Amino acid sequence: MKGWTLTFVLAAVFGLCVGPFYWLAMAATHANSDIFSWPPKFYPGDQLAANTAKLEESIGLVNVLGNTLFVAVAQTAGAIVVSLLAGYAFAKFRFAGRDLFFVLLLSTLVIPGGVTIIPIFEMMNDIGLIDSFPALILPSLSVPFGIFLMRQSLLAVPDELLDAARVDGAGELRVLWRVVIPVMRPVLAALAVFLFLGAWNDFLWPLIALRTPEMYTLPVALASLQGLARTDFGQVMVGTAISSLPMMVLFLILQKQFISGLLAGATKG
Amino acid sequence: MTLTLSRPGRTTVPRRPFVTRRTVPYLLVLPALLGFMVFKAYPILAAMYISLTTGAGAARSFVGLDNYVRLVNDPLFWTSLWNTGLILVVQVPIMLLLALLLALGLNSSLVRLRGLWRLGVFMPSLTGLVAYGVMFSVILRKDAGLLNWLLSLFGVEPIDWLGSPFWARIAIVIALTWHYTGYNAVIYLAGLQSIPKDLYEAAMVDGAGPARRFWSITVPQLRPILLLTVVLSTIGTLQLFDEPFVLTGGGPDNSTLTISLYLYQNGFRYFDFGYAAAIAYALTLIVAGFGIAQMRMQKR
Amino acid sequence: MINRRGALALALTGTLALAACGGKTPEKGSGPVKITVWSWKPASDGLAAVAKDFEQTHPGIKVDVQAVGNPAIWDKITIGMAAGGKGLADVLHIGVDYLPGYMDKFPGGLADLRKLGADKYKDAFAKGLWPTVTGKDGGVYAMPWEVNPVGFFYRADLFEKAGIDPEKIQTWDDAIEAGKTLKEKTGAFLIGLNKPAAGSADMDFFQSLLQQQGAFYFNQQGEVTLSSPPAVQAMTLIKKMNDAGIVADTSGENTAKQLISGGKLAVLPWAAWAVSYIPEMRPEQKGLWRVMQPPTVTAGGKRTAIVNSTHLSISGTSPHQAEAFAFVEYALTKPEVVTKAFKEGGVFPALTEAYSDPAFAAPQPYFGDQPALKTFVDALAEGADATYYSGDYARALKIASDAQTSVLLKGADPAAALTEAATLLTQQTNRKLAG
Repeated sequence: MKGWTLTFVLAAVFGLCVGPFYWLAMAATHANSDIFSWPPKFYPGDQLAANTAKLEESIGLVNVLGNTLFVAVAQTAGAIVVSLLAGYAFAKFRFAGRDLFFVLLLSTLVIPGGVTIIPIFEMMNDIGLIDSFPALILPSLSVPFGIFLMRQSLLAVPDELLDAARVDGAGELRVLWRVVIPVMRPVLAALAVFLFLGAWNDFLWPLIALRTPEMYTLPVALASLQGLARTDFGQVMVGTAISSLPMMVLFLILQKQFISGLLAGATKG
Repeated sequence: MTLTLSRPGRTTVPRRPFVTRRTVPYLLVLPALLGFMVFKAYPILAAMYISLTTGAGAARSFVGLDNYVRLVNDPLFWTSLWNTGLILVVQVPIMLLLALLLALGLNSSLVRLRGLWRLGVFMPSLTGLVAYGVMFSVILRKDAGLLNWLLSLFGVEPIDWLGSPFWARIAIVIALTWHYTGYNAVIYLAGLQSIPKDLYEAAMVDGAGPARRFWSITVPQLRPILLLTVVLSTIGTLQLFDEPFVLTGGGPDNSTLTISLYLYQNGFRYFDFGYAAAIAYALTLIVAGFGIAQMRMQKR
Repeated sequence: MINRRGALALALTGTLALAACGGKTPEKGSGPVKITVWSWKPASDGLAAVAKDFEQTHPGIKVDVQAVGNPAIWDKITIGMAAGGKGLADVLHIGVDYLPGYMDKFPGGLADLRKLGADKYKDAFAKGLWPTVTGKDGGVYAMPWEVNPVGFFYRADLFEKAGIDPEKIQTWDDAIEAGKTLKEKTGAFLIGLNKPAAGSADMDFFQSLLQQQGAFYFNQQGEVTLSSPPAVQAMTLIKKMNDAGIVADTSGENTAKQLISGGKLAVLPWAAWAVSYIPEMRPEQKGLWRVMQPPTVTAGGKRTAIVNSTHLSISGTSPHQAEAFAFVEYALTKPEVVTKAFKEGGVFPALTEAYSDPAFAAPQPYFGDQPALKTFVDALAEGADATYYSGDYARALKIASDAQTSVLLKGADPAAALTEAATLLTQQTNRKLAG
């Protein structure tokens, strides 16, 4: 009996969390004029194909999705490598300036994002990277939270494990690859979800850094649909619904590792 | 004429290895260090300089601490500080408590379909700003909003969510809670799952009831994770921008104006970059202060 | 110990992403000059159509019109301006809510078009616009494209049902009386306002009441006039309407559309763009809407108010200013071109000569065969006063909007709310309060 009550409560919370997404998915299947009508549309309409076709025509949906995916994957992969290497150094080596640098790095967590955007834009422009994917990827490779997470979880990896591999004559990178990465899989998965989420949804910086519509990422392209009072919400809804999908798929695939990986940041201080 | 087929530099000159036990850590942190210098340290120092100037482009001039003096005397800055603090004090405890309860539910072996509920409660934290804005503008409408419709089922009169200063703050709290509770719940869930089962078994043998088991085993075991979420949520809320930006624009009557939103308005709306940078530094100091204080508490 | 390949891989990781896709190199040298235009939909559609014709007659110039989106375009332009004009498009479509700020706060950010010959078009545009594009130094920093004089769109069927003759409404006080009758007989509100200013400020109506009195937030000397008698009168009118219960709250996405759809808004004090927008939004209400010039604030006063206008500027750092100006000149000063852009993109043109096109006198079936656009042409013929936006317009707008919200939602006294607002504005901008 108690189990059913609890299940019912959780189902209600589930409804509150997922309800808006359900509405969003339904909205994507209705025409612009019907989307916000009352009572809300909780059943599918017949405009999904039409909305998608219009969206493809106006922003080049396939191309834009390709751009977004490329940038998000490259940014995620790059930041994971950088975080892992730095986290490994912070956790397993002693070197001059280690603690100072670690504290400096972490302290950037508290700086509001908008502040650094103008200097970075000037810099990117001066070296001719504006309107290129590296302009989007490079600034996000050194992620304090990622390095912090990697360091914390690597502290939990016993030194003996590493030393054993070293005794067998493995180089540092080999130790990293053969010994550290296998035990770190859950944390890496958690970090991947976290980084991908940020990269996939990033808006302000790509808006500023990209110039040609063929280079746009999805959030920037969706913003370009907006005109004063004239926004075609049919298109926006399809785009928004599509933009939510990859995250859900990624989370579904990685959720086991993600959940145990999240712990890593908190276990050792 | 001889054709040289040897590949130079491959084996001939024996070199002192560049990568040694001493240099490895430096090489490992090098990419992070480069990224930090170029994309964090330099822009932050540049912003520090900007906070001592007024005007932009060719019209920029050095004014010393004028922007900071102005900040202290600016009623809107204090309003934004007050609003941010209020939302912090109200929202973070509510959210973390809900997240903990949710995690306990999701961890209960009595519950069916746990995987499904877990995915569902995590979904809100995957939302991008565009989707978030569109959804909540429909949820929070007074006359045809989903939330008022839901409340009307329980006989509640329509609430003017965005129209009254009081309810607008509540609306921000609701939106924030919807957005991040699941995320924290999943973190707690991970923590709960890592608590050794035999601790509970031993307590049960000793005759401890569920409440006692919760307070004497679950809470102490979760302590580091609880503190981590408190620190992260505090930092996040102090920098709160998305919700007031897309939902209320800071209104009505500046009741939901947060520090980050005020910073944005001064920079991007009023082109007062020096002042915006000064606000950013004030915010940074506040966030850093909170962070250090909470870390201290954790150590204790 | 790391081997050589390892070290190489390590060094590569940083530049991996770079190598994977490579940056674009800007084209240089001979070949056609390419100019880029930033705009937003649907205006960008009109401009793109015109750009094609332009390329035909100007084989050396290629024009790339990009719809950046509104409001996204402002962040993009602002950052470029703040970075000293770096990375900006050659031609920028700028609304009057941002133009004065860009002119004032970023000297050199926008090109002075006098040196390119813009001066000769001084009198070509609707009256009241040229001062808006003229800077403090006398430079011309934009060419007017779109002008939006305010109108008074009303539901003829609701007015009839309530027994009100719209022609008899001469002043806004008359309109308030009519509004009470309308509310009583039909249940419809007179107008709608986004009372809490959720999302964005809704100040067009207040501003139009100011402009009808030849006033604004600032005067020509740049002094604050937010608490001047015309401002107090305008806010008092709004309060009167609100207290009479005839102002609907339109906050929230799509709320206004819903009220309109349900016949709950009898009047839309919207500008010229609504002539194409209303039919698009509510095709099923065909024949129900009419438009006339708005009532006056004081008996016998002025009706015309330009609630907003948008302009084309040229980036001060563009290497192709001459070519960019050639395009701007082509797009904005030739009646047939301007009219074409109007038909494609729904932008009511600022070029006076364009109004002789039959399109502006054509009866519109949606508006009961009334020549709806002619109402606005007539309004512009009366001539609007210059509006002094100043570089601090954005701040003034925010502060005035806060004042309106406190009047509408907290029942604040208009004079007191505006005095407080004006004081705050003077503090924040270091400006003087007009005597």
